[in-house]
Amino acid sequence: MIALLLATLTQSLTLIPLALGINLSYTILRATDMTIDGSFVLGAGVFAQLVTMGFSPYLAFAAALLCGALAGSFTAFLQNGGKVDPLLAGILSSFILYSVNMAIMGRPNINLLTTPTLFSTAFGHGNVLGWLSVALLIGLFVIAFYALLQSRLGLCLRAFGDNAALLSRQGYNVTYLRISGFGLNNLLAAASGAITAQIIGYADIGMGVGMTLVGIGAIILGQHILLPFIKKHYLRAGSELLAAFIGIALYFFILNSLLRLNINPIYLKLLLGVLLALFLRTATQKTRLS
Amino acid sequence: MTLVKFEHVNLHYPALERPILKDINYTVQKGDCVVVLGANGSGKSSLLKLLDGRYKMNSGKILLHDKDIHTISTCTRAHCIHTLTQNAQDNLFLSLTIFENYQLMIKRQGHDPIDSLADYLHTFNPNLSHKLDVLVARLSGGEQQALALALAVLYPPEILLLDEHTSALDPKTAEHLMALTARIIHERHITALLTTHNVNHALAYGDRILALKEGVVHDCIESDDKKDLTAEALLARCY
Repeated sequence: MIALLLATLTQSLTLIPLALGINLSYTILRATDMTIDGSFVLGAGVFAQLVTMGFSPYLAFAAALLCGALAGSFTAFLQNGGKVDPLLAGILSSFILYSVNMAIMGRPNINLLTTPTLFSTAFGHGNVLGWLSVALLIGLFVIAFYALLQSRLGLCLRAFGDNAALLSRQGYNVTYLRISGFGLNNLLAAASGAITAQIIGYADIGMGVGMTLVGIGAIILGQHILLPFIKKHYLRAGSELLAAFIGIALYFFILNSLLRLNINPIYLKLLLGVLLALFLRTATQKTRLS
Repeated sequence: MTLVKFEHVNLHYPALERPILKDINYTVQKGDCVVVLGANGSGKSSLLKLLDGRYKMNSGKILLHDKDIHTISTCTRAHCIHTLTQNAQDNLFLSLTIFENYQLMIKRQGHDPIDSLADYLHTFNPNLSHKLDVLVARLSGGEQQALALALAVLYPPEILLLDEHTSALDPKTAEHLMALTARIIHERHITALLTTHNVNHALAYGDRILALKEGVVHDCIESDDKKDLTAEALLARCY
Protein backbone atom coordinates (compact mmCIF):
# COMPACT_ATOMS: atom_id res chain seq x y z
CA MET A 1 0.00 0.00 0.00
CA ILE A 2 2.85 2.38 0.88
CA ALA A 3 4.50 1.60 -2.46
CA LEU A 4 1.18 2.35 -4.20
CA LEU A 5 0.79 5.69 -2.39
CA LEU A 6 4.41 6.61 -3.05
CA ALA A 7 4.07 5.85 -6.76
CA THR A 8 0.85 7.91 -6.85
CA LEU A 9 2.52 10.84 -5.08
CA THR A 10 5.60 10.94 -7.28
CA GLN A 11 3.65 10.58 -10.54
CA SER A 12 1.14 13.23 -9.49
CA LEU A 13 3.92 15.63 -8.54
CA THR A 14 5.31 15.89 -12.06
CA LEU A 15 1.87 16.58 -13.51
CA ILE A 16 0.94 19.36 -11.07
CA PRO A 17 2.03 22.18 -13.44
CA LEU A 18 -0.09 20.51 -16.14
CA ALA A 19 -3.06 20.42 -13.75
CA LEU A 20 -2.52 24.11 -13.00
CA GLY A 21 -2.48 24.85 -16.74
CA ILE A 22 -5.66 22.88 -17.35
CA ASN A 23 -7.25 24.59 -14.34
CA LEU A 24 -6.42 27.90 -15.99
CA SER A 25 -7.86 26.97 -19.38
CA TYR A 26 -10.82 24.84 -18.29
CA THR A 27 -11.97 26.50 -15.05
CA ILE A 28 -10.84 30.10 -15.46
CA LEU A 29 -10.78 30.75 -19.22
CA ARG A 30 -13.59 28.20 -19.69
CA ALA A 31 -12.02 26.75 -22.82
CA THR A 32 -11.02 23.19 -23.65
CA ASP A 33 -7.50 23.76 -24.91
CA MET A 34 -6.33 20.66 -26.75
CA THR A 35 -2.97 22.34 -27.52
CA ILE A 36 -1.83 20.93 -24.18
CA ASP A 37 -1.40 17.44 -25.69
CA GLY A 38 1.20 18.92 -28.04
CA SER A 39 2.83 21.47 -25.75
CA PHE A 40 3.46 18.76 -23.09
CA VAL A 41 5.61 16.90 -25.65
CA LEU A 42 7.05 20.20 -26.90
CA GLY A 43 8.39 20.99 -23.41
CA ALA A 44 9.88 17.51 -23.05
CA GLY A 45 11.31 17.54 -26.60
CA VAL A 46 12.90 21.00 -26.43
CA PHE A 47 14.45 20.24 -23.04
CA ALA A 48 15.77 16.81 -24.11
CA GLN A 49 17.18 18.06 -27.42
CA LEU A 50 18.94 21.06 -25.84
CA VAL A 51 20.54 19.14 -22.95
CA THR A 52 21.73 16.38 -25.29
CA MET A 53 23.27 19.14 -27.44
CA GLY A 54 25.22 20.22 -24.34
CA PHE A 55 23.21 23.25 -23.22
CA SER A 56 22.72 23.94 -19.51
CA PRO A 57 19.61 22.20 -18.08
CA TYR A 58 18.47 25.58 -16.70
CA LEU A 59 18.66 27.18 -20.13
CA ALA A 60 16.98 24.14 -21.69
CA PHE A 61 14.16 24.31 -19.13
CA ALA A 62 13.65 28.04 -19.75
CA ALA A 63 13.58 27.38 -23.52
CA ALA A 64 11.00 24.61 -23.01
CA LEU A 65 8.74 27.00 -21.06
CA LEU A 66 9.13 29.69 -23.71
CA CYS A 67 8.27 27.26 -26.51
CA GLY A 68 5.16 26.14 -24.58
CA ALA A 69 4.07 29.77 -24.20
CA LEU A 70 4.60 30.35 -27.93
CA ALA A 71 2.49 27.30 -28.78
CA GLY A 72 -0.34 28.66 -26.61
CA SER A 73 0.01 32.10 -28.17
CA PHE A 74 -0.30 30.48 -31.60
CA THR A 75 -3.60 28.89 -30.52
CA ALA A 76 -4.79 32.29 -29.26
CA PHE A 77 -3.76 33.81 -32.58
CA LEU A 78 -5.75 31.16 -34.48
CA GLN A 79 -8.81 32.02 -32.39
CA ASN A 80 -8.37 35.76 -32.62
CA GLY A 81 -6.84 36.48 -36.02
CA GLY A 82 -7.91 33.33 -37.81
CA LYS A 83 -11.42 33.39 -36.28
CA VAL A 84 -11.16 29.65 -35.63
CA ASP A 85 -13.44 28.09 -33.00
CA PRO A 86 -11.46 27.72 -29.69
CA LEU A 87 -11.80 23.93 -29.54
CA LEU A 88 -10.83 23.49 -33.19
CA ALA A 89 -7.93 25.95 -32.78
CA GLY A 90 -6.53 23.75 -29.98
CA ILE A 91 -6.95 20.55 -32.01
CA LEU A 92 -5.32 22.25 -35.01
CA SER A 93 -2.36 23.47 -32.92
CA SER A 94 -1.90 20.03 -31.41
CA PHE A 95 -1.97 18.53 -34.92
CA ILE A 96 0.66 21.02 -36.13
CA LEU A 97 2.77 20.49 -32.99
CA TYR A 98 3.21 16.80 -33.82
CA SER A 99 5.34 17.79 -36.83
CA VAL A 100 7.05 20.61 -34.92
CA ASN A 101 7.94 18.23 -32.06
CA MET A 102 9.22 15.62 -34.47
CA ALA A 103 11.34 18.25 -36.24
CA ILE A 104 12.76 19.49 -32.92
CA MET A 105 13.49 16.02 -31.54
CA GLY A 106 14.72 14.56 -34.85
CA ARG A 107 13.60 11.08 -33.72
CA PRO A 108 10.58 9.62 -31.86
CA ASN A 109 12.36 9.53 -28.50
CA ILE A 110 15.44 10.95 -26.79
CA ASN A 111 17.14 9.16 -23.91
CA LEU A 112 18.04 11.35 -20.92
CA LEU A 113 19.34 8.67 -18.53
CA THR A 114 22.98 9.63 -19.02
CA THR A 115 22.45 13.36 -19.56
CA PRO A 116 22.67 15.96 -16.76
CA THR A 117 19.25 17.36 -15.87
CA LEU A 118 17.86 19.83 -13.32
CA PHE A 119 17.56 17.04 -10.77
CA SER A 120 20.44 14.68 -11.62
CA THR A 121 22.78 16.10 -8.93
CA ALA A 122 20.06 15.89 -6.26
CA PHE A 123 19.08 12.34 -7.27
CA GLY A 124 22.80 11.48 -7.17
CA HIS A 125 22.63 12.14 -3.42
CA GLY A 126 19.65 9.86 -2.94
CA ASN A 127 16.01 9.57 -3.91
CA VAL A 128 14.72 11.65 -0.98
CA LEU A 129 16.84 14.66 -1.93
CA GLY A 130 15.97 14.12 -5.58
CA TRP A 131 12.21 14.17 -4.96
CA LEU A 132 12.59 17.11 -2.59
CA SER A 133 14.24 19.12 -5.37
CA VAL A 134 11.36 18.18 -7.71
CA ALA A 135 8.84 19.19 -5.04
CA LEU A 136 10.68 22.51 -4.55
CA LEU A 137 10.44 23.37 -8.24
CA ILE A 138 6.77 22.34 -8.38
CA GLY A 139 6.17 24.42 -5.23
CA LEU A 140 7.60 27.48 -7.00
CA PHE A 141 5.17 26.94 -9.87
CA VAL A 142 2.25 26.58 -7.45
CA ILE A 143 3.17 29.77 -5.54
CA ALA A 144 3.65 31.74 -8.77
CA PHE A 145 0.33 30.45 -10.13
CA TYR A 146 -1.51 31.28 -6.91
CA ALA A 147 -0.01 34.80 -6.96
CA LEU A 148 -1.20 35.14 -10.55
CA LEU A 149 -4.76 34.14 -9.62
CA GLN A 150 -4.81 36.79 -6.89
CA SER A 151 -3.38 39.51 -9.16
CA ARG A 152 -5.11 41.99 -11.43
CA LEU A 153 -4.24 39.81 -14.43
CA GLY A 154 -5.84 36.83 -12.66
CA LEU A 155 -9.05 38.79 -12.12
CA CYS A 156 -9.07 39.91 -15.75
CA LEU A 157 -8.54 36.31 -16.91
CA ARG A 158 -11.50 35.18 -14.78
CA ALA A 159 -13.60 37.99 -16.25
CA PHE A 160 -12.43 36.96 -19.75
CA GLY A 161 -13.67 33.42 -19.13
CA ASP A 162 -16.95 34.72 -17.73
CA ASN A 163 -17.81 37.23 -20.45
CA ALA A 164 -15.15 38.30 -22.96
CA ALA A 165 -17.63 40.46 -24.91
CA LEU A 166 -18.49 42.55 -21.82
CA LEU A 167 -14.82 42.87 -20.93
CA SER A 168 -14.11 44.16 -24.42
CA ARG A 169 -17.01 46.64 -24.18
CA GLN A 170 -15.54 47.87 -20.91
CA GLY A 171 -12.37 48.81 -22.79
CA TYR A 172 -10.08 45.90 -21.84
CA ASN A 173 -7.76 44.44 -24.47
CA VAL A 174 -9.16 40.92 -24.80
CA THR A 175 -6.60 39.92 -27.45
CA TYR A 176 -3.82 40.47 -24.91
CA LEU A 177 -5.76 38.53 -22.28
CA ARG A 178 -6.41 35.62 -24.66
CA ILE A 179 -2.71 35.39 -25.56
CA SER A 180 -1.68 35.67 -21.88
CA GLY A 181 -4.13 32.99 -20.78
CA PHE A 182 -3.41 30.44 -23.48
CA GLY A 183 0.32 31.23 -23.38
CA LEU A 184 0.44 30.63 -19.62
CA ASN A 185 -1.52 27.40 -19.64
CA ASN A 186 0.70 25.92 -22.34
CA LEU A 187 3.83 27.18 -20.57
CA LEU A 188 2.70 25.14 -17.56
CA ALA A 189 2.00 22.08 -19.73
CA ALA A 190 5.48 22.39 -21.28
CA ALA A 191 6.97 22.65 -17.77
CA SER A 192 5.23 19.43 -16.82
CA GLY A 193 6.51 17.76 -19.99
CA ALA A 194 10.09 18.84 -19.33
CA ILE A 195 9.95 17.71 -15.67
CA THR A 196 8.33 14.36 -16.61
CA ALA A 197 11.02 13.71 -19.22
CA GLN A 198 13.72 14.26 -16.60
CA ILE A 199 12.02 11.95 -14.10
CA ILE A 200 11.23 9.08 -16.48
CA GLY A 201 14.54 9.50 -18.30
CA TYR A 202 13.34 10.11 -21.85
CA ALA A 203 11.22 12.34 -24.05
CA ASP A 204 8.80 10.55 -26.37
CA ILE A 205 6.73 11.89 -29.25
CA GLY A 206 3.62 10.08 -27.95
CA MET A 207 3.87 11.04 -24.28
CA GLY A 208 1.24 13.81 -24.53
CA VAL A 209 -1.61 11.78 -26.01
CA GLY A 210 -4.76 12.20 -23.90
CA MET A 211 -3.13 14.56 -21.38
CA THR A 212 -5.84 17.24 -21.81
CA LEU A 213 -8.61 14.72 -21.25
CA VAL A 214 -6.86 13.21 -18.22
CA GLY A 215 -6.30 16.70 -16.77
CA ILE A 216 -9.86 17.88 -17.34
CA GLY A 217 -11.30 14.65 -15.93
CA ALA A 218 -9.05 14.89 -12.87
CA ILE A 219 -9.91 18.55 -12.26
CA ILE A 220 -13.67 17.96 -12.53
CA LEU A 221 -13.33 15.00 -10.19
CA GLY A 222 -11.28 16.99 -7.67
CA GLN A 223 -13.64 19.95 -7.79
CA HIS A 224 -16.68 17.79 -7.15
CA ILE A 225 -15.01 16.15 -4.19
CA LEU A 226 -13.70 19.34 -2.61
CA LEU A 227 -15.81 22.31 -3.68
CA PRO A 228 -19.03 21.34 -1.80
CA PHE A 229 -17.03 21.85 1.41
CA ILE A 230 -15.78 25.31 0.40
CA LYS A 231 -18.41 27.86 1.37
CA LYS A 232 -16.29 31.01 1.50
CA HIS A 233 -15.79 32.62 -1.86
CA TYR A 234 -12.39 34.11 -0.99
CA LEU A 235 -11.03 30.55 -0.67
CA ARG A 236 -11.93 29.90 -4.32
CA ALA A 237 -8.42 30.19 -5.84
CA GLY A 238 -6.82 27.97 -3.19
CA SER A 239 -9.59 25.39 -3.33
CA GLU A 240 -9.37 25.21 -7.13
CA LEU A 241 -5.66 24.43 -6.86
CA LEU A 242 -6.24 21.84 -4.15
CA ALA A 243 -9.02 20.27 -6.23
CA ALA A 244 -6.60 19.95 -9.15
CA PHE A 245 -4.05 18.17 -6.91
CA ILE A 246 -6.66 15.82 -5.45
CA GLY A 247 -8.00 14.99 -8.92
CA ILE A 248 -4.56 14.21 -10.37
CA ALA A 249 -3.58 12.13 -7.33
CA LEU A 250 -6.84 10.16 -7.54
CA TYR A 251 -6.27 9.50 -11.25
CA PHE A 252 -2.81 8.05 -10.60
CA PHE A 253 -4.07 6.10 -7.59
CA ILE A 254 -6.64 4.38 -9.81
CA LEU A 255 -4.08 3.86 -12.60
CA ASN A 256 -1.54 2.28 -10.24
CA SER A 257 -4.21 0.18 -8.54
CA LEU A 258 -5.27 -1.22 -11.93
CA LEU A 259 -1.66 -2.02 -12.79
CA ARG A 260 -1.24 -3.83 -9.47
CA LEU A 261 -4.34 -5.89 -10.27
CA ASN A 262 -2.38 -7.19 -13.28
CA ILE A 263 -4.78 -5.65 -15.77
CA ASN A 264 -3.48 -6.08 -19.32
CA PRO A 265 -1.92 -2.66 -20.20
CA ILE A 266 -3.67 -2.84 -23.59
CA TYR A 267 -7.01 -2.32 -21.79
CA LEU A 268 -5.71 0.31 -19.36
CA LYS A 269 -6.87 3.39 -21.30
CA LEU A 270 -10.19 1.68 -22.06
CA LEU A 271 -10.82 1.08 -18.35
CA LEU A 272 -9.60 4.54 -17.34
CA GLY A 273 -11.81 6.08 -20.04
CA VAL A 274 -14.87 4.21 -18.76
CA LEU A 275 -14.10 5.21 -15.16
CA LEU A 276 -13.58 8.82 -16.21
CA ALA A 277 -16.90 8.78 -18.07
CA LEU A 278 -18.62 7.43 -14.94
CA PHE A 279 -17.01 10.10 -12.75
CA LEU A 280 -17.95 12.86 -15.19
CA ARG A 281 -21.53 11.54 -15.33
CA THR A 282 -21.76 11.61 -11.54
CA ALA A 283 -20.24 15.08 -11.48
CA THR A 284 -22.75 16.37 -14.05
CA GLN A 285 -25.66 14.86 -12.10
CA LYS A 286 -24.41 16.48 -8.88
CA THR A 287 -24.17 19.86 -10.64
CA ARG A 288 -27.74 19.50 -11.91
CA LEU A 289 -29.01 18.62 -8.45
CA SER A 290 -27.19 21.53 -6.81
CA MET B 1 -24.77 71.19 -27.68
CA THR B 2 -24.94 68.25 -30.08
CA LEU B 3 -23.44 65.08 -28.65
CA VAL B 4 -24.57 62.35 -31.05
CA LYS B 5 -25.74 62.69 -34.62
CA PHE B 6 -27.15 59.87 -36.74
CA GLU B 7 -26.81 60.71 -40.45
CA HIS B 8 -28.58 58.51 -43.03
CA VAL B 9 -27.86 55.41 -41.00
CA ASN B 10 -28.82 52.10 -42.61
CA LEU B 11 -28.52 48.63 -41.16
CA HIS B 12 -29.62 45.34 -42.64
CA TYR B 13 -28.93 41.67 -42.05
CA PRO B 14 -28.16 39.58 -45.14
CA ALA B 15 -30.78 37.00 -44.09
CA LEU B 16 -33.61 39.54 -43.82
CA GLU B 17 -35.36 41.21 -46.74
CA ARG B 18 -36.45 44.26 -44.75
CA PRO B 19 -33.73 46.60 -43.43
CA ILE B 20 -33.41 46.77 -39.63
CA LEU B 21 -32.83 50.51 -39.77
CA LYS B 22 -33.47 52.69 -42.79
CA ASP B 23 -32.17 56.21 -43.31
CA ILE B 24 -32.11 57.23 -39.66
CA ASN B 25 -31.41 60.91 -39.07
CA TYR B 26 -31.54 62.10 -35.49
CA THR B 27 -29.61 64.38 -33.16
CA VAL B 28 -29.11 63.85 -29.44
CA GLN B 29 -28.25 66.92 -27.37
CA LYS B 30 -25.90 66.74 -24.39
CA GLY B 31 -27.83 66.09 -21.19
CA ASP B 32 -30.94 64.81 -22.99
CA CYS B 33 -32.84 61.73 -21.95
CA VAL B 34 -34.21 60.39 -25.23
CA VAL B 35 -36.79 57.62 -24.99
CA VAL B 36 -36.93 55.34 -28.04
CA LEU B 37 -40.35 53.75 -28.50
CA GLY B 38 -41.52 51.20 -31.01
CA ALA B 39 -42.95 47.72 -31.43
CA ASN B 40 -40.79 44.61 -31.19
CA GLY B 41 -38.50 44.46 -34.22
CA SER B 42 -38.78 48.18 -34.92
CA GLY B 43 -35.01 48.63 -34.54
CA LYS B 44 -34.77 50.24 -31.06
CA SER B 45 -32.11 47.91 -29.68
CA SER B 46 -30.21 47.88 -32.98
CA LEU B 47 -29.95 51.67 -32.84
CA LEU B 48 -28.29 51.42 -29.42
CA LYS B 49 -26.05 48.56 -30.53
CA LEU B 50 -24.76 50.70 -33.39
CA LEU B 51 -23.81 53.38 -30.92
CA ASP B 52 -21.91 51.10 -28.49
CA GLY B 53 -20.17 49.24 -31.32
CA ARG B 54 -21.88 45.86 -31.02
CA TYR B 55 -23.32 46.31 -34.52
CA LYS B 56 -21.72 47.90 -37.56
CA MET B 57 -23.91 49.94 -39.88
CA ASN B 58 -24.02 49.26 -43.62
CA SER B 59 -24.06 52.90 -44.62
CA GLY B 60 -24.41 56.37 -43.10
CA LYS B 61 -22.57 58.01 -40.27
CA ILE B 62 -22.80 58.32 -36.52
CA LEU B 63 -20.99 61.33 -35.14
CA LEU B 64 -19.95 61.55 -31.51
CA HIS B 65 -18.67 65.03 -30.64
CA ASP B 66 -18.63 65.65 -34.42
CA LYS B 67 -16.21 62.72 -34.87
CA ASP B 68 -17.10 59.65 -36.91
CA ILE B 69 -17.69 56.90 -34.36
CA HIS B 70 -15.64 54.45 -36.47
CA THR B 71 -12.54 56.60 -35.99
CA ILE B 72 -12.87 56.51 -32.19
CA SER B 73 -10.93 53.68 -30.52
CA THR B 74 -12.83 50.90 -28.73
CA CYS B 75 -11.17 51.97 -25.49
CA THR B 76 -12.23 55.63 -25.78
CA ARG B 77 -15.74 54.57 -26.77
CA ALA B 78 -15.89 52.25 -23.75
CA HIS B 79 -15.01 55.15 -21.44
CA CYS B 80 -17.61 57.36 -23.08
CA ILE B 81 -20.57 55.00 -23.55
CA HIS B 82 -22.02 52.46 -21.13
CA THR B 83 -24.87 50.09 -21.93
CA LEU B 84 -27.34 48.38 -19.63
CA THR B 85 -29.68 45.74 -21.01
CA GLN B 86 -32.40 43.57 -19.46
CA ASN B 87 -29.99 40.59 -19.36
CA ALA B 88 -27.73 40.55 -16.32
CA GLN B 89 -25.03 38.66 -18.26
CA ASP B 90 -24.76 41.65 -20.64
CA ASN B 91 -24.06 44.03 -17.76
CA LEU B 92 -22.11 42.10 -15.12
CA PHE B 93 -19.63 39.25 -14.67
CA LEU B 94 -21.94 36.72 -13.06
CA SER B 95 -19.25 34.33 -11.80
CA LEU B 96 -17.41 37.13 -10.00
CA THR B 97 -18.34 38.81 -6.72
CA ILE B 98 -19.78 42.31 -6.41
CA PHE B 99 -16.40 43.55 -5.20
CA GLU B 100 -14.57 41.95 -8.14
CA ASN B 101 -17.02 43.54 -10.60
CA TYR B 102 -16.32 46.88 -8.92
CA GLN B 103 -12.54 46.29 -9.12
CA LEU B 104 -12.77 45.61 -12.85
CA MET B 105 -14.77 48.80 -13.30
CA ILE B 106 -12.38 51.11 -11.41
CA LYS B 107 -9.28 49.56 -12.97
CA ARG B 108 -10.70 50.02 -16.44
CA GLN B 109 -11.46 53.66 -15.67
CA GLY B 110 -8.08 54.21 -14.02
CA HIS B 111 -9.74 55.94 -11.04
CA ASP B 112 -8.95 55.69 -7.35
CA PRO B 113 -11.22 53.40 -5.31
CA ILE B 114 -14.15 55.09 -3.56
CA ASP B 115 -14.13 55.43 0.24
CA SER B 116 -16.86 52.94 0.98
CA LEU B 117 -18.34 50.70 -1.67
CA ALA B 118 -20.91 49.40 0.82
CA ASP B 119 -22.24 52.91 1.51
CA TYR B 120 -22.30 53.75 -2.18
CA LEU B 121 -24.26 50.60 -3.07
CA HIS B 122 -26.65 51.14 -0.16
CA THR B 123 -28.18 54.12 -1.98
CA PHE B 124 -29.03 51.87 -4.94
CA ASN B 125 -30.21 48.81 -3.02
CA PRO B 126 -29.71 48.35 0.74
CA ASN B 127 -29.28 44.57 0.30
CA LEU B 128 -26.15 45.03 -1.82
CA SER B 129 -24.14 46.75 0.89
CA HIS B 130 -23.58 43.57 2.91
CA LYS B 131 -23.11 41.23 -0.06
CA LEU B 132 -19.80 42.48 -1.42
CA ASP B 133 -18.29 38.96 -1.33
CA VAL B 134 -21.33 37.29 -2.88
CA LEU B 135 -21.26 36.02 -6.47
CA VAL B 136 -23.37 38.21 -8.73
CA ALA B 137 -25.11 35.10 -10.08
CA ARG B 138 -26.59 34.55 -6.60
CA LEU B 139 -28.25 38.00 -6.44
CA SER B 140 -31.91 38.54 -7.33
CA GLY B 141 -32.78 40.12 -10.69
CA GLY B 142 -33.57 43.44 -9.01
CA GLU B 143 -30.29 43.44 -7.09
CA GLN B 144 -28.35 42.59 -10.24
CA GLN B 145 -29.88 45.47 -12.20
CA ALA B 146 -29.39 47.90 -9.29
CA LEU B 147 -25.75 46.81 -9.08
CA ALA B 148 -25.31 47.17 -12.85
CA LEU B 149 -26.70 50.71 -12.65
CA ALA B 150 -24.55 51.56 -9.63
CA LEU B 151 -21.38 50.41 -11.39
CA ALA B 152 -22.38 52.08 -14.67
CA VAL B 153 -22.65 55.49 -13.03
CA LEU B 154 -19.80 55.06 -10.52
CA TYR B 155 -17.73 57.35 -12.74
CA PRO B 156 -20.53 58.65 -14.96
CA PRO B 157 -20.15 57.93 -18.67
CA GLU B 158 -21.08 60.66 -21.14
CA ILE B 159 -23.80 58.49 -22.63
CA LEU B 160 -25.82 55.81 -20.90
CA LEU B 161 -27.68 53.41 -23.17
CA LEU B 162 -30.58 51.70 -21.39
CA ASP B 163 -32.03 48.89 -23.47
CA GLU B 164 -35.25 47.91 -21.67
CA HIS B 165 -33.12 47.47 -18.55
CA THR B 166 -36.15 47.10 -16.27
CA SER B 167 -38.29 44.86 -18.48
CA ALA B 168 -37.26 41.57 -16.84
CA LEU B 169 -38.19 42.79 -13.34
CA ASP B 170 -41.45 42.64 -11.39
CA PRO B 171 -43.55 45.86 -11.70
CA LYS B 172 -42.65 47.23 -8.25
CA THR B 173 -38.91 46.65 -8.63
CA ALA B 174 -39.00 47.94 -12.21
CA GLU B 175 -40.78 51.11 -11.10
CA HIS B 176 -38.27 51.71 -8.30
CA LEU B 177 -35.27 51.12 -10.57
CA MET B 178 -36.66 53.32 -13.32
CA ALA B 179 -37.24 56.20 -10.89
CA LEU B 180 -33.73 55.73 -9.49
CA THR B 181 -32.24 55.68 -13.00
CA ALA B 182 -34.07 58.88 -13.96
CA ARG B 183 -32.95 60.63 -10.77
CA ILE B 184 -29.31 59.69 -11.31
CA ILE B 185 -29.37 60.67 -14.99
CA HIS B 186 -30.67 64.12 -14.12
CA GLU B 187 -28.49 64.64 -11.04
CA ARG B 188 -25.32 63.67 -12.85
CA HIS B 189 -26.22 65.30 -16.17
CA ILE B 190 -25.80 62.06 -18.11
CA THR B 191 -27.05 61.90 -21.67
CA ALA B 192 -29.26 58.83 -21.97
CA LEU B 193 -30.96 56.84 -24.70
CA LEU B 194 -33.64 54.63 -23.21
CA THR B 195 -35.68 51.99 -25.02
CA THR B 196 -38.93 50.87 -23.42
CA HIS B 197 -42.45 49.70 -24.15
CA ASN B 198 -43.80 51.57 -21.16
CA VAL B 199 -45.40 54.80 -22.43
CA ASN B 200 -45.87 56.06 -18.87
CA HIS B 201 -42.10 55.82 -18.32
CA ALA B 202 -41.55 57.58 -21.63
CA LEU B 203 -43.78 60.47 -20.60
CA ALA B 204 -42.46 60.67 -17.04
CA TYR B 205 -38.75 60.35 -17.60
CA GLY B 206 -37.95 61.23 -21.22
CA ASP B 207 -37.02 64.74 -22.34
CA ARG B 208 -37.69 63.77 -25.93
CA ILE B 209 -39.27 60.77 -27.60
CA LEU B 210 -38.16 59.07 -30.80
CA ALA B 211 -40.63 56.60 -32.27
CA LEU B 212 -39.41 53.92 -34.68
CA LYS B 213 -41.64 51.82 -36.91
CA GLU B 214 -40.26 49.02 -39.08
CA GLY B 215 -36.80 50.54 -38.98
CA VAL B 216 -37.66 54.09 -39.93
CA VAL B 217 -38.20 57.22 -37.81
CA HIS B 218 -41.97 57.32 -37.42
CA ASP B 219 -42.27 60.30 -35.08
CA CYS B 220 -40.12 62.72 -33.08
CA ILE B 221 -41.74 64.30 -30.06
CA GLU B 222 -39.99 67.28 -28.50
CA SER B 223 -40.29 68.15 -24.82
CA ASP B 224 -42.84 70.95 -25.44
CA ASP B 225 -45.16 68.64 -27.41
CA LYS B 226 -44.78 65.91 -24.81
CA LYS B 227 -46.33 67.98 -22.01
CA ASP B 228 -49.87 67.80 -23.43
CA LEU B 229 -49.73 64.11 -24.34
CA THR B 230 -51.59 61.39 -22.48
CA ALA B 231 -50.32 57.81 -22.36
CA GLU B 232 -53.16 56.74 -24.69
CA ALA B 233 -52.37 59.47 -27.18
CA LEU B 234 -48.68 58.59 -27.13
CA LEU B 235 -49.51 54.92 -27.65
CA ALA B 236 -51.67 55.79 -30.64
CA ARG B 237 -48.97 58.03 -32.09
CA CYS B 238 -46.04 55.67 -31.69
CA TYR B 239 -47.40 52.14 -32.27
